[in-house]
Amino acid sequence: MTWQGWAEIALTLSLAVAIGWPLGVFMSRVWNGERTFLDPVMRPIERLFYAACGVDPKKSQSWHAYALALLAFNLVGFFLVYAVLRLQGVLPLNPQGFPGLSGHLSFNTAISFVTNTNWQSYAGEATMSTLSQMLVLTVQNFVSAATGATVAAALARAFVANRGEGVGNFWADLIRTTLYVLLPLSFVVAILLVALGLPQTLIAGVTAHTLEGAEQKISLYAVASQEAIKMLGINGGGIFNANSAHPFENPTPLTNLITAVSINVLGWAAFFAFGRMVLAKKDVRALVIAAFVLLLAGAAGVYATETQAPPAQVAAKVDASVNMEGKEVRFGAPATAAWVAATTGASNGSVNGMHSSLMPLGGGIAMFLMQLGEILPGGIGSGVAIMVVMALLSVFVAGLMVGRTPEYLGKKVEAREIQFSILAVVIIPLSMLGFSGLAAVLPEALKGLMHSGPHGLSEILYAYVSGTANNGSAFAGLTANAPWWDVTLGIAMALGRFLPIVAVLAIAGALVAKPKLAPTAGTLPTDGGLFIGLLIGVILILGGLQFFPAMALGPIVEHFQALGAVAALR
Amino acid sequence: MSSIDIHAGEGRRKASALTGGLSGAVLARAAKDAFLKLDPRKLTSNPVIFATWIVALLSTASAVAALAAHQAAGFAIQVAVWLWATVLFANLAESVAEGRGKAAADSLRATRVTTKAKLIIDPTTGTYIPTPAHKLGMGEIILVEAGDVIPTDGEIIEGMASVNEAAITGESAPVIRESGGDRSAVTGGTTVVSDWIKVRVTAEAGSTFLDRMIAMVEGADRRKTPNEIALAVLLAGLTLIFLIAVVTLLGLGKFSGVALDPLVLGALFITLIPTTIGGLLSAVGIAGMDRLLKVNVLATSGRAVEAAGDVDTLLLDKTGTITFGNRMATEVIPAPAGGSTARPWLRASSTIERPSGVSSASEAIRAARMAASGRTPGAGITSVAMRLPKVMVPVLSSSRVSTSPAASTARP
Repeated sequence: MTWQGWAEIALTLSLAVAIGWPLGVFMSRVWNGERTFLDPVMRPIERLFYAACGVDPKKSQSWHAYALALLAFNLVGFFLVYAVLRLQGVLPLNPQGFPGLSGHLSFNTAISFVTNTNWQSYAGEATMSTLSQMLVLTVQNFVSAATGATVAAALARAFVANRGEGVGNFWADLIRTTLYVLLPLSFVVAILLVALGLPQTLIAGVTAHTLEGAEQKISLYAVASQEAIKMLGINGGGIFNANSAHPFENPTPLTNLITAVSINVLGWAAFFAFGRMVLAKKDVRALVIAAFVLLLAGAAGVYATETQAPPAQVAAKVDASVNMEGKEVRFGAPATAAWVAATTGASNGSVNGMHSSLMPLGGGIAMFLMQLGEILPGGIGSGVAIMVVMALLSVFVAGLMVGRTPEYLGKKVEAREIQFSILAVVIIPLSMLGFSGLAAVLPEALKGLMHSGPHGLSEILYAYVSGTANNGSAFAGLTANAPWWDVTLGIAMALGRFLPIVAVLAIAGALVAKPKLAPTAGTLPTDGGLFIGLLIGVILILGGLQFFPAMALGPIVEHFQALGAVAALR
Repeated sequence: MSSIDIHAGEGRRKASALTGGLSGAVLARAAKDAFLKLDPRKLTSNPVIFATWIVALLSTASAVAALAAHQAAGFAIQVAVWLWATVLFANLAESVAEGRGKAAADSLRATRVTTKAKLIIDPTTGTYIPTPAHKLGMGEIILVEAGDVIPTDGEIIEGMASVNEAAITGESAPVIRESGGDRSAVTGGTTVVSDWIKVRVTAEAGSTFLDRMIAMVEGADRRKTPNEIALAVLLAGLTLIFLIAVVTLLGLGKFSGVALDPLVLGALFITLIPTTIGGLLSAVGIAGMDRLLKVNVLATSGRAVEAAGDVDTLLLDKTGTITFGNRMATEVIPAPAGGSTARPWLRASSTIERPSGVSSASEAIRAARMAASGRTPGAGITSVAMRLPKVMVPVLSSSRVSTSPAASTARP
């Protein structure tokens, strides 16, 4: 560990917050339907969409209608992606001549991209045609991110309203977030990345002759534009199998910094936008601080574990102070640690090093950050929405302990909100642990594992944790393109995405009808250090405690095995 | 909006029964109740303790099975003992919380059972036979004479008497009750001070004012507060989450080659679920009640404390006792209109209103005097607006008006 390393981690993570702030101000204007500097360009396009779809953007929907529109939109998206992937072989723009995907792989991939997970049971450069990449996967990268953002917008309106009715218009939120936020920002970042050397082309690839005289096919795509939305939309699905460890996706430390910061920028922006909409900047600042503290702790933990001598190298009498297995030499341990925290804290799932090769506890921390429910800062909007659910639970528990009325941001927290908060939280362990428990005993599932013992268990756990949390990163040892894994992971992703979304919208529906209360002497202040501490406690207990027994059998046992092995060698 | 009625006298009378603290009798009764509450039908209302109860039962069965098979049962017995102790302690805490209310209810019930009514069996001669109060039926006629306690709720059909209603309303001066009009209703538990009345019983045994008061004190008839319902949901959800965590451990353990004893899993489950919050919630209520007692407020239960926290409007039927009862100007707030200053307006309005004799008029005069002597806050006031103290109006629900004579005695 060096001070340069710590500084690099701190810079990467805090730069995202710093850029996210002004972006959040802009985003709140977009969600509120106010004028922005992009209006001259985007307003006509926006109107065109409304006219074409017959949508009245001013018509506020009830939470039922909002949720139904959201689900219907995503269902259609799912069928579209599924169809294109199945028919890939006969569709145009397929210079490599790839065949259509199998049924289970199409199912898994379609859900994966619709749910903003981008779990990939395939290697992109050897499976996907240019058309599939551009037409369905990239489109979903945009709209699935915007779908998450709509949830935060609806929830914010529920907190603002005083005995209101509607939570906003889903179609307007979706279209405005895509047109005003995602598209222009991706454009800027893509141009930046092209300038820094990322390929942006429609040709299939080039053929190179190596020094030994062998012929090598090097795949090329429109990488830069894909890379921009992959990061900004918190998607994470790379064009190449090696993801952001691949030199075409992430060639230099500078591109690494830009892309790593891009992961969290819009997640934080959604926090600030929520705060501005609800007129509760201080309360949202408390949420940001709580999330940032946990994220920084995660990155520090990974950095600490990765700068230990790996047992295998000690056994081979290699003098190593850093675990470089699975890491890119051009990034090193600190950049990898910052990335691991950023990508698992947000629901991104891109990797610039192999998570399976992290030290046992480092991999455990990556899993843990996902188990917390993707709120550090999570996906665009979906992260802040689940964070508010955590805040509701904290306010309720704390309120009972200190005898204060449970209120949050001027709205009383009652049985209905708690009910749906619990629903949003309960699905996480049910899917993560339930599927893992099943897979651990089914021979059909165990065929896909590369390792046995605790690392094998970590492979299983990581897959379902990543799928349910809509993260999409993987412990690379697992061969996931098999019917069992494709189907169950697909179900886990859909459950982990849409149940919490519906629960949050139901909370919004319950809150919107309530009167907005002015804070009284009996209100628990939700902007101070006490509340931040409480919130972190609730997040750790709700996210950590139920996974601890399972984690004890995976990463924790593996850690002690490694320690034992090192001690035996010395 | 939620509201509560405050009957000053009620509170004062209950005080005698409630300020005893944790007396031996209350504790003994609570200890007995703790065992009675092991009945699973009573436990289902608290999912956490119910789950603990089930695991306690299973661990007991496993301990018995181990003993029967002559195997080592020490661990199973120890787990069983811990779990039963947890359940019993939670029950005890709840019983103690309810115990105070129960003691008060018992004393109320005792007066009702021992009251003898004079049931008129022959209206022509007025012959009556002594009958226990709780055996009176609707429509029967009873005679109540000076010194008698009115046995049940009813309506006077003949006669007139002064009745001491302190037991119900806290009003120390007797009130006149007579047949006909709106002063004909009498309440069980009140005492006739002079003269006699004939009363037709209007409430079935078990639904009289006194009965409902007993039920309210006992907490048997009280609805759960929103917080309690929400907390039950939260605890049930947490219990479910940890149930998932423990059950899936079976599969994960099998993969890792660890054979997990169901007893150990059960114990782990109980360790994880929020037994403390679930079990000690009622103790938290007691703590709240005792804190209130320090500022001279009597709460009959922790639930009442919580309900009081949600009150945003207070309706009092004791305006004469608790407040001044007449409107007073405490401040003159300018309305954002007009062009002249407040003083001439105040003076003019006081001149106009002086002969009316209305209390608000005299307040206007007082405000004008204050303004004249320069004591009114805020110069440059452009108009006059009177801020009245939050007016306490005797609002009572219609059902209460018809059954409780307290309503007709309430004065503004």
